[in-house]
Formats: sequence, C-alpha cells, structure tokens
Amino acid sequence: MSGRIINWIDRRFPFTSFIRDELTGYPTPRNLSYWWNFGFLAGFVLVLQVATGIFLAMHYKADVAHAFDSIQHIMRDVNYGWLLRYMHATGASAFFFVIFIHMARTLYYGSYRAPRELLWWTGQGLLLMLMATAFMGYLLPWGQMSFWGATVITNLFRATPVFGEQVVIWLRGDYSVGDATLNRFYALHYLFPFLIIGAVVIHLVALHAVKSSNPSGIDLKAKDNIPFHPYFTSKDLFGLGVFLIFFCVVVFFVPDSLSEPANSIPANPLQTPNHIVPEWYFLPFYAILRSVPNMVGGVVAMGLSVMMFAFMPALDRSSIPGGARYRPIYRVLFYLFVIDMVVLGYVGYQPPAGTIVVIGQLATIGYFAYFVLIFGLSKVEERWLVKRGLPPDVQALINAEALAKSSRA
Amino acid sequence: MKKFTLLLVVTCLALLGMSALADMSTVQIATDTATLGRGADSMMTNCRSCHSLKYVRYRDLTSIGIPKPKIDEWRGSESVDNPMLAVLADKDALQSFGIVPPDLSLITKARDGGMNYLYAYLLGYHNTSNGSVDNLIYPGTKMPDALGISSATTAAQLVDIHGKARDVTSFLAWAADPHAKERIRMGYYVLAYLVLLTSLLYLVKRMVWARLSTSDDHLTSWKK
Amino acid sequence: MSNAVLDDNRRSLLLKLTTVVAGAGVAATAVPFVASMNPSSDVLAQAEVEVDLSGITPGAVHTVAWQGQPVFVVRRTPQQIAIAAASNGGSDPEPDSKRALNPEWLVVVGVCTHMGCVPNKEAIGWVCHCHGSQYDESGRVTLGPAPTNLVIPPYRFVGNDKIIIGKV
Repeated sequence: MSGRIINWIDRRFPFTSFIRDELTGYPTPRNLSYWWNFGFLAGFVLVLQVATGIFLAMHYKADVAHAFDSIQHIMRDVNYGWLLRYMHATGASAFFFVIFIHMARTLYYGSYRAPRELLWWTGQGLLLMLMATAFMGYLLPWGQMSFWGATVITNLFRATPVFGEQVVIWLRGDYSVGDATLNRFYALHYLFPFLIIGAVVIHLVALHAVKSSNPSGIDLKAKDNIPFHPYFTSKDLFGLGVFLIFFCVVVFFVPDSLSEPANSIPANPLQTPNHIVPEWYFLPFYAILRSVPNMVGGVVAMGLSVMMFAFMPALDRSSIPGGARYRPIYRVLFYLFVIDMVVLGYVGYQPPAGTIVVIGQLATIGYFAYFVLIFGLSKVEERWLVKRGLPPDVQALINAEALAKSSRA
Repeated sequence: MKKFTLLLVVTCLALLGMSALADMSTVQIATDTATLGRGADSMMTNCRSCHSLKYVRYRDLTSIGIPKPKIDEWRGSESVDNPMLAVLADKDALQSFGIVPPDLSLITKARDGGMNYLYAYLLGYHNTSNGSVDNLIYPGTKMPDALGISSATTAAQLVDIHGKARDVTSFLAWAADPHAKERIRMGYYVLAYLVLLTSLLYLVKRMVWARLSTSDDHLTSWKK
Repeated sequence: MSNAVLDDNRRSLLLKLTTVVAGAGVAATAVPFVASMNPSSDVLAQAEVEVDLSGITPGAVHTVAWQGQPVFVVRRTPQQIAIAAASNGGSDPEPDSKRALNPEWLVVVGVCTHMGCVPNKEAIGWVCHCHGSQYDESGRVTLGPAPTNLVIPPYRFVGNDKIIIGKV
C-alpha cells in the first residue's frame, strides 16, 4: 500500500529521488571532523527559536505600556512560560555561538575558496539577517538595555549622507524609540526568521551543488565519499546531544547569566543606565564602532568589519588547498585573528576610558590588518611552500587545477 | 583546530569569571517555607510602607506555604488577586523623598551582583564620621537603615540582623524568580535524560561508523 | 556465524532503544509547548467569584462574570418559586428543588445550551433570541432547539448573604 502511494507521488513529484540524492544518499566526505557538525546545529537552533518564538508570541504584547508586564506574565503565570522564554533567550546566544564556530571552521579550513564563494556569501547574508533579528528581538522585553540599545543602534543610521536624521526617524516611526518602533520591531522579528529559513534553503542548494569541503582541502574522489545516512545522521545527532547538554545547563541552572541586570528594569526614556552594553555577540563589532573617534567613520568601520568576511575568496590568493592546515603563516594569522576578536569583545564590554580605548584601537587595526595581511602574504606564502615542497596529494591537486586552467585558456 | 578549542574554552571561562567579579560577599539564600515566611513578614513590616511588589499577587504567597489568615491580615480589603502595592502612593513618595522607591519584584535580578547586592546593601549601613548614616554599597542612598544595623551594639543583635537580611533576600529572590526551585529540579531530570540519550547516540554512531573498513583508508594519513 | 547474528541482534536492540528514548524525549518536550496554551495561573486563579447578595431585591436578576461567562443570580419572588416548583420543565425534566440550594435564589450560567448565546430575561423566564429557545423560572428549557436546561454552576453559600461561585 505505502509502496503504491509513493509510486503515485513519484510520478508527480521527485519524492524518492530527492530523499535519495539530497538526504540519505547525499555523498559526503568521510573525513569530516566534528567541526562540520555546526551547520546542522545552527539549523536545529533556528527551528528551536521559531518554535519557542511562536508560542511566546501567543502571550507577548507589543505595546510600550504592556510589553514589560507581558514578559512578567509569561515568566510567572503562563504554564512553562519561563521555560519557553529561557530557551528562546538562551537560544539567541546559542545561535551566535554555533554560527561563530561554523564561520571559524570555514576560515580555518579555507572552505570559502572556489568553487564555494556563493555558499560563503549566502552564509554572510544569513549572518546579517540573524544579527538584525537578534537586535530587534532584544527590544521586545522593553527593559532599560532593550530601549537604550535600540536607541544607540538606530542612531547609527545618522551616519547616512544627507538624510541621516530623516532615516533615523523613519526607522523609529517616532522622534525617539517608542510604541511605533516596538510594534514594527515585533512585526519584523516575527517575519525575519521565515526569510532566514528561505535563505537557509538557498544556502543548502548552494552546498549541494558544490558539496561539503573537507579538512584535507582537496575535493575527494568518489570512493572517499560516503552516504549522509546513516553516517552523518548518527554523527550529527550525537553532536546535537552534546550541544543540548550545554544548552540545558544554561537554561535550567544559570538562565540569567547572559542577560544584563538593567534589562530587569522597565524602559525609562528619561534616564540612561550608567553602563550600556550590547549582547555579547555584538561586542567585538561594538568595540570597533567605539574605537574610531568619528561618528561616520565608526559606523563605516563597524559595517565594514561585519562585511569583511565576504571578501575572503578574493583576498586569499593562495592556491594551496586546505586553509590553515598546510599553511603555517595563514594558521598564525587565524589564531591572531581569533585572539583579536576576544580582545575586542572584552573592550566592547568595558566602559571606554584610559587604556581600554587604546587597546580597542590597536585591536581594531589588528582586525582589519588580518584581511590586508592575508591579501599580501597569501601569494608569498604559496611561493615559499611550493619551494619547500608540498605533500604529494596537495601537489597533485594543484597540478590538476593548473591543467584545467590551461585547457580552458 | 585543537588550539582553537582551547581558546574557546579559555574565553568561556574568562566570561564566567567576569560575571562573577562582583566584590560582595555571597549570600546563601534558602527556599524553605520558614525562611520565606519570615522574609515575607519582614517585607510587609519593614519595606512595604514604601516599596511595592507589583508582579506578586497576594494569592501567590500561598504557593510558598504562607498561611491564609496571615495573607488575609496583610491584604486587608484588597482582593487576593491584586498585586502587592506599597502603602505609600508614588505621588506622595515623590513629594517626600524626591524619588519613587523602586518596585522590588525583580530587585534581585535588576542589580549587578543580584541577591548579593541586596544582602550587602541591607547590611551596608554604617555611621559616618560626621554623625550621619550612610551605605557602603550605595553611598547617599535615600533609604533609611531599615534593619537597624548601624545602631546595633551587641553581637546578638548583629546575628539577628544578618538573619533578617538573609530572610528578606531569600523572599525577594523568590519574588523575582518564583519558578527557580521547579526549574532547578526539572534541570536535574533533563540533564540525566540527556546524558543517557547522548551516550546511546554515541554508541549508535560508533556502531554505524564501525561498518566502514579502515584498511583502505588513506584519508587517515591526513589526520593530525 | 552465530556470533555475527548475535552482533546483529545487539545492534538492532541498541537502535530500537535509542529510538524509544529519543522519541520519549521529543514527546516530553512537546508538553511545555502544549501546556503553555492552556489557561495561565492568573486566569485559573479567577475561577472563583464572590457575590454579595445583600443588595439584590426580590425579582431582580444580578449578572456576574464567572470564567468569562455570565452567571444570573436571581432572587425569586414567592410566585416565581411557586411556578418553578409546580412543573418539572419541558424536554429535559428536572425538579426545581434539585436546581436551587435555596429556593429563594436561582444561580444559572446565562449561556443558552444550544449555540452559546446569552438569553434575555422575560416574563415567562428566559428567551434566547438567536434561535428561539425558551427557559422557565428555573432555567429549564420549555421550547426551542436547546437540548438541555441552563447549567447550574458549582456554588456555595457563605453565611446568609454571600455566595461563592466556582469549585466547591
């Protein structure tokens, strides 16, 4: 019976072949390490955020007079409301945590290199949408940090040439962050996840066109690929179990550790808290904003810092595959960059005074220097490595690439 | 990437350390009925003349085991479904103090240091050299020394006041996070379950991957 | 050979066990999501309503909201009591003595048992104008499409002039 139903469907829709080609039988390099789990985890967190978000939306009120109270209603009166909200709030941080590791893996192993540029750029688009969604969601509890965070960030658009003031007022629908702002942020916070789901589909289509990269940096021969199911389904699910353990420790035991105390005070447009900071995942970019002693310059630097990743396929001119694995100079640069991000994050959390400002400015220079140095050194490093002699596998790939290029020309 | 893992772990630990930087003594709060009852009593006698507890309804007090007659005494003619508001109206407070005393429903969440802040603040009153009373944690506070620690003289009095501060802090910690006890209890069950599930998933993964023959696996040569 | 079979058995057992444990977890996770759509604790807390009877004159209908629904509290006149006691109603017969704890007071949920409209008080009792159902002085259906009599909510007397509507 079920066979007949599937037959009926298959004649009208590529059901079986889709499952076979793109899910269960999808050829995946057998040597993927656990760093390749994080894409799946990001997908899981997205589903978790949408699910908890929809149920929270059934109780939330987007009105400046009721928003804070409705959050308290969720936390106190709604059955398991506290659980849904703590999952959603922790989920936002988990999302960024997972995405940052996903990106770090791509940078480390050079997964952004040809032919995976579009895959990388759709990922960049997803990062921007995730940031926008998280930022708008943070306004909804209508606490002090929500309010002043939204005030500061919408004010960034004052850097728009000529129409700065008008753009800010247009974004807010008011002269300051108010009821109109809260309502539109709520509408968009509900909309964006569905755009993200659409973009994830595009991201996956791009992935399935070029297939996963792998730690070797060389596209494997067909015999080294294994079907996604059961190998990577079992591996991804085990990774999910480990992730959930960490996630649940935060949700059940220290759920408030990631929220600022000031956000437990209702928004007060007449008084700014002494120390306002964004959520941890924005801290490095926030530090870059503050490090440039000019409003427009700061905004441009911050925007550029987020977008720099998109230039990686062009900046990295080395033809040595495998990212940092076979490239000692690139490896050092990678670790320096990660440390630089951590320093920027720390600076972003501290009040801007004294040495913190200087450290922030140095780290900002370091941040952009990473990309410049990759552009400058990738070719130098390649020549040096070729002179020193490469592993035969790697040499073979370079030769094959050169051959393909010359035959095209 | 091993170094990356290390870096990640170090960063997470540093973040935890940063959040624990508050230089206040830590208070061990309690969640038993007796402590919460005494804390609620203190709240009603010492604090509620000025401070509200607007996200807590009188009815909610039954959930921590406060006897009904006691609640009826506190609420007077107010309905059990009403929030616990301050005796002093906001308008009058503004007139006499120049400030509306903060609502205490979320006070243990709304200050850096959380309940440690509250505990240290309640016990932070002292006599200054010019004869007035001030607070170590919040110098220039408008709130008087409600528990009277600045005028305490005997050791017994000090012990009593410390106990009271702990009771009030425990009660307000409950008010800010009424599901904390339930949450932590559920957390243990969830974690136990997840450890079991993850172990099983690990075994399944190992079983599945064991099917791959490793003899012709030249890929292993790349493993670092 | 037998070793391989044993091995296979062990494998399929592990898979089954893992599937069951994971399935139980997914099912348990659904609980908070589903439960969050049930009435919240503050709504449940209002499941009881106090009604002060002292101000209600004979013949008057006092309407209070209980769980979002109207409840009619009627102080019946001696004639109304007599009329109600004289019959057993219509299609859903029930003696009046079973419908009122105290014959002077009738407490009924003011929602027509047909399609949920609120009936109006008229000389004969109540008339629902949505579909023409009629109820007598005891709230028993006498005419029209309504299947049953008006519902008596759980209530109890506290002293002589106060009732609490809600769980007894």
